[in-house]
Amino acid sequence: MVAHAEIRVVHRGGSKINFREPVITNDSRFLLCASGESVKVYSSSSEECVHDLQGHTDLVSGIVRNPSNHLQVYSCSADGTVRLWDFTDGILIKTFIIGYPIYSIYVSENHGGVVFVVVPMANDKSSELFQLVAVHLPRSEDQEVEARELSAVLCDVRPSGAASFGREGEYIAAAKGLQLEVFFFKKQKSYRFFLKPGNKKWAKNAFTCVSCHPKEDCIATGHEDGKIRLWRNFNQKKEYTYSTLHWHHGAVNTLQFTPEGTNLLSGGIESVLVQWRYTQETQMDFLPRLGGAITHIAVSPDGSLFCTSHSDNKITIIQSCVKVSAVIQGLVKGEGVRTNLMIDPRSKALVLNGKPGHLQFYSLHRDKLLYNLDIVQQEYIHEEGLDQFEVVRAAFDTRGDWLATVEERTQKGSELEINLKMWAYDEKTQSFVLNTTVTAPHDDQITAMCFSPSPETTMLVTISFDGHFKAWLLADNSDTTAEGASWSCDFVGGYHLLKPGCCCFSADGSLLAVGFQEVVTVWSPSWELLTTLSQPPGAIRDLCFGRLSCSKYLLGTSTKNQLCCWNLLTCSLEWSTPVDVSLLQADPLSENMAAFCSQSGCSDLFVFKPSEPLPLYSQRALCTGKVQHAVFAPRDQMLESCEEHAQWLNRSQLYFLTQHMDLMTFSTKSEEDRLLASSKRLMVDDSVAVTPFYLLLGKHRQQQEALTNPMAERIQLPQGSIAIKELLYTPAHVLPSASFLCSMFVRSLLISSSPAREEKEPVEEEMESEEEDSEGEAELRDARQDLGGSAAWGPGEELGAPALTKAQERELRRVKHFDHSWLSSLLEC
Amino acid sequence: MAADGGSFSLGLPCVFSPKSRQYLALCAQDGRLRIWNTDIKTLNQEYVPSAHLSATCTCISWGPCRKAKEGPQRKKRKSDAGQVENQVDLLALGTAAGSVIIYSTVKGALHCTLDGGHSGGVNCVQWHPEDCLLYSGSDDTRIVEWDLQTGKARCKWKADRASVTSLCVSPDGKLLLSAGHTIKMWDLETKEVYRKFTGHSTAVTTLRFATTRPPDSNGLYFLSGAAQDRLLSVWQVREDGKDKNSVVSFNLTDEPHHIDLLTSSSKDEAVRLAVVCKDGQLHLFEHLLNGPCKKPLSPLCTVQMTGVEDSPVPVPLLAVALTPDNHSLLLAYGNHLQPVMERVEVNTAERHVCLTRDVRTTLSLNMETTVSKVKTPVGNAKSKVLVPGLPGHQAPVKGALGSEKRKGTDAKEMSIEERLGKIKMSPEKGVKGAPSLQTDNYAVLLVQGLESKDINILNKVFHTRKDNLIKKTVALLPLPAVLPLVEEITKRMQGHPYTAVLMVRWLKAVLMQHTSYLASLPDLVFQLGVLYHVIESRVKMFHKLSKLHGKLYLLMTQVATSGKEVKDVEHKAKLVYEEESSDEDNASGDEGLPDEDSDNWEEDETMEDEAEEGVRMESKVNGDSDIEPGNESEEE
Repeated sequence: MVAHAEIRVVHRGGSKINFREPVITNDSRFLLCASGESVKVYSSSSEECVHDLQGHTDLVSGIVRNPSNHLQVYSCSADGTVRLWDFTDGILIKTFIIGYPIYSIYVSENHGGVVFVVVPMANDKSSELFQLVAVHLPRSEDQEVEARELSAVLCDVRPSGAASFGREGEYIAAAKGLQLEVFFFKKQKSYRFFLKPGNKKWAKNAFTCVSCHPKEDCIATGHEDGKIRLWRNFNQKKEYTYSTLHWHHGAVNTLQFTPEGTNLLSGGIESVLVQWRYTQETQMDFLPRLGGAITHIAVSPDGSLFCTSHSDNKITIIQSCVKVSAVIQGLVKGEGVRTNLMIDPRSKALVLNGKPGHLQFYSLHRDKLLYNLDIVQQEYIHEEGLDQFEVVRAAFDTRGDWLATVEERTQKGSELEINLKMWAYDEKTQSFVLNTTVTAPHDDQITAMCFSPSPETTMLVTISFDGHFKAWLLADNSDTTAEGASWSCDFVGGYHLLKPGCCCFSADGSLLAVGFQEVVTVWSPSWELLTTLSQPPGAIRDLCFGRLSCSKYLLGTSTKNQLCCWNLLTCSLEWSTPVDVSLLQADPLSENMAAFCSQSGCSDLFVFKPSEPLPLYSQRALCTGKVQHAVFAPRDQMLESCEEHAQWLNRSQLYFLTQHMDLMTFSTKSEEDRLLASSKRLMVDDSVAVTPFYLLLGKHRQQQEALTNPMAERIQLPQGSIAIKELLYTPAHVLPSASFLCSMFVRSLLISSSPAREEKEPVEEEMESEEEDSEGEAELRDARQDLGGSAAWGPGEELGAPALTKAQERELRRVKHFDHSWLSSLLEC
Repeated sequence: MAADGGSFSLGLPCVFSPKSRQYLALCAQDGRLRIWNTDIKTLNQEYVPSAHLSATCTCISWGPCRKAKEGPQRKKRKSDAGQVENQVDLLALGTAAGSVIIYSTVKGALHCTLDGGHSGGVNCVQWHPEDCLLYSGSDDTRIVEWDLQTGKARCKWKADRASVTSLCVSPDGKLLLSAGHTIKMWDLETKEVYRKFTGHSTAVTTLRFATTRPPDSNGLYFLSGAAQDRLLSVWQVREDGKDKNSVVSFNLTDEPHHIDLLTSSSKDEAVRLAVVCKDGQLHLFEHLLNGPCKKPLSPLCTVQMTGVEDSPVPVPLLAVALTPDNHSLLLAYGNHLQPVMERVEVNTAERHVCLTRDVRTTLSLNMETTVSKVKTPVGNAKSKVLVPGLPGHQAPVKGALGSEKRKGTDAKEMSIEERLGKIKMSPEKGVKGAPSLQTDNYAVLLVQGLESKDINILNKVFHTRKDNLIKKTVALLPLPAVLPLVEEITKRMQGHPYTAVLMVRWLKAVLMQHTSYLASLPDLVFQLGVLYHVIESRVKMFHKLSKLHGKLYLLMTQVATSGKEVKDVEHKAKLVYEEESSDEDNASGDEGLPDEDSDNWEEDETMEDEAEEGVRMESKVNGDSDIEPGNESEEE
């Protein structure tokens, strides 16, 4: 196939932000977190992404603040580099090439120029063993520096999250399995402490996380059974002690001391942040209902902010008074998407499973989670091994007026509980309103559900493994009850007790196709079975009606590698090809169909029209694994793309979820160019950090500045000037008269401002002469006038100096010849 | 593309963010700046300017979109992150004290303040579309050009004799419109007056370029609106300078408060204009600008909004944004402290559109979601709950009915028969009515109750537990009363299990006595279908329940034998059984039944068979409905 350079498969955000511990900057204004191959800088107050630091070529596996510069961070990645960033401007400063994939990074203030990274054991990269090594970062001006100076510190550590620097960087503690290892840098010696395996199961006593007290010699460790142990006196092999705290019922996922060491924070699956008072461990503060298991805790350097990452791809920012102030939520990723991807016709948002029991609405344009809609409306209990209600199916009708959801609870060995809920969108209150709840709509799992697109009737079809499909009709039974329209079952259908697998309405709602294993049945709106189509072998996996000009075609995929196209007018097979289609998706705005095929572990995409023999577009090896979910999202504005093979992206955009739950899409070159063209960087100076104090004092200061400005030169006075000292430090009652002092004072100032050295002498002389005869000449109060009049002094001097030596006379003459205009101008200004 | 958000000096400033319309910035009466997210309709940020009471915010303008990042152009890899739409960031606020505040929505903090440019209050701020420049017009009759890179005023000039009330920068960034005493067009390079326009007698509040400058200069239009003026004027900037008067004017109902327009880039594309007036109405215009037009144009469509109260109060619209696709509008309405944002599809074919919105409930819903990011849909008591067994949960047995209807004629005959029967019945009833005066006959009571639908009488009758009495009563019941009885029983069966328990006896009796009559009914399936579903769904769990009962019984007896008193426990078990068995005893299941009640049960079973007959019959018919279509297809 032709490689289409214009169309690229791109990540459309939604990447994990809870992979590693986030970092709060020194001023608590920003929060940095690793997100896929980039580092994201979020504003901690507005929850917005300020910068996206791109540069790594593989998963970013850790971020730490640069201890020597609070405006920089180090990030490490599996691509084997450590990068230094300026996060305020989003600039990459330096790249250190380590050469091994890095799994986490640690730094300490007391180890300048050294970062500690976790890399696989040197000899075999494939092994599961990791070691902590110290890397000396070479000082170099280059952008890219090779840092090969590695020295092993600890062997056999966990790849992430289980190492911590102790007081003043004297030691580092790491835990793995049942062993705690503390390495003292001074002694270059490590101590190992072992726990006995728990009484019942080995795993229960294992370490999960480590945090060292910043000021005292104390190490806190978390364990799988929910205990927290505080280790002390560990600088020897024998007499170490530990005390145990126990509140968590599940494993302690993370521990963190506050910067002053007054509190210890811990979190686990309970989604409760626990704050223990250090030395008063019986006192605890709790912040419950954080909405998901806590995976990491980070504390700002000043201790004013905490933030917790959660398993549902969320970062919660918590003020130290234990109050949630902001939530940064990425695309919620559960174990799998059980509902398909949908587009809400009203908000144009992508809708899929969210938090347990919720549907999430994700804005594709902004790459931002809008909200989670609570469907189940039952409190979710955060505990392992509980079976709770989950939203498994959801569907919107074409206008977005109705939302149908199916929630399900399976428990081993007991009856399946299913609820079907119909939500009406109420325009008056601008929210969904529950209209009808159907408990146990089917006897078995509901496999698919779709609304009829026909504008006359509002109808929903559910199909289930119990061998039936049911049609639910909105009936306006306002005559019997005052409740208005509600839903009721209109028809129950089946076909030879076969299990139906999929259903599809034609674009105008005049036909319903239901796939019963190998047989496709086509029903009319009055529930007559019009025809059956069958193409054995292989059960029908997906059904799709053609749209617009291709509406006479029905496409089906079967499990036995068949893609069939039936002509509904002749009720015969039009064509079929042997491909293993894992997903078939129709574009609602055009005739195009997208078929994802899985082939030797990879997914291929074909975009085609049912009526044409050649595909419009094909892309081999889209991603690894099967693509199970995809959706066409209509564009706001139609693209005007002239390339033929990119035209299928004009009206709508195709999004799909990979096996690893990454949301991907296709973007064309013209689209990217358009985005690039429309954007430009706005450089606005933001140096003024305005506080209320600034506003109060700033005005004052400005006034002062305005006052001092004319005498700017005088500010440069040497403080040590004798005259000034004299004036300032002699008591008032011993001071000579003001006029005398004034002139002296003024003189002293003049000297200092004179640029050339040679001029000093004459002025000094002048001063002397002044001392002789300046009594009562001027008053201090009117200093300016006095200064202004100083030019007139010149001639007076001679009169009052009767006896002068020859040398003095010569000097004086020289002074007289010297141009004094600079002085007067200086004084006048 | 739409012009960037404008500002106005009258009323409270309220502006949508440009392009994607993601935010609504609004300065309310309390002097706080609030930024609302139009996607989720919640408050995004709140900012209190430090002098918000003395120096109130007078105008707001969104800065041009920010670029995500400008780094060294890397080679694009395959799985590169996709370009997301540009984010809006900066917001310029002019204050009554004469300073301009730049607020960053991304950081959620003040970006910088621009001081010392004006001595009077700032009336309007406008961003330069390309450069880092900001223009502000003030009461001190001056315009200041701010260089945002340095945060200093770059240029300052006296624009008018009166205070400058409005500004607008042309889309290409070369011209500036200012309104004071007159409307002046400035060349931004030389800061010289390019044109002057006179026409408005009151302060001009709105200026907006309607077209981008075409190559031939005659096609440049702009529009202006003034306080207390019910006309929007459109001016043409002509090459020859003969542009003293406005060319077109738009009719409004009140002075314009908020304007949004989609500029036309080509000559034959109409300008779309949406104006929110002071009276809270929205007017939509579409006009192709090509030279003068004598008559004032009237709106294409007018949108109003009302509350849901008994006497509908108009809800004022605050702001409007047009979207590139022709149908939908983004509206903000309600009060300034808590506006409601909504995307509405407006049918412009209608001249007047009135939307009804419950503003109060939306207000109360708003606040919580901001931190938790969870929206709870309304689940009120009004919503219907369909449990298995209730009508509507299963398909009504309509298919079967339809098939019977196809037979057609005999159904009609039957109805005539029924009528005859009715005629026959009435004298009988009269006969029976007479003795009923003497004895308090249950049958008579029941008939009366069914006829009058008197719940008291019915309750009294149905509350009996004596099987003999029930049997007799049903036997004495006149035939026409049977069907109403069945209906009543059906209704009560759907209710609470306790009443259902009582009704089972009655149903049994009815089926025993009147099977033949019921079987003769044409719409039997329809009548009994619901009943069938109820029983079916309730019986579904019977096997499991009886198993559980058996297990529990076993457990209890073992406990009892190991314990002290045997009798006590036995008694208890008996009680438990009676409750459950009576609940389900209309069902066919009979395993795990203890022996104590055997005599009682056998009697039940005989009835059961009868009951089952009815049920089986129904199931057959119902089965028909499922299978029949399949058969048809095979025939085809």
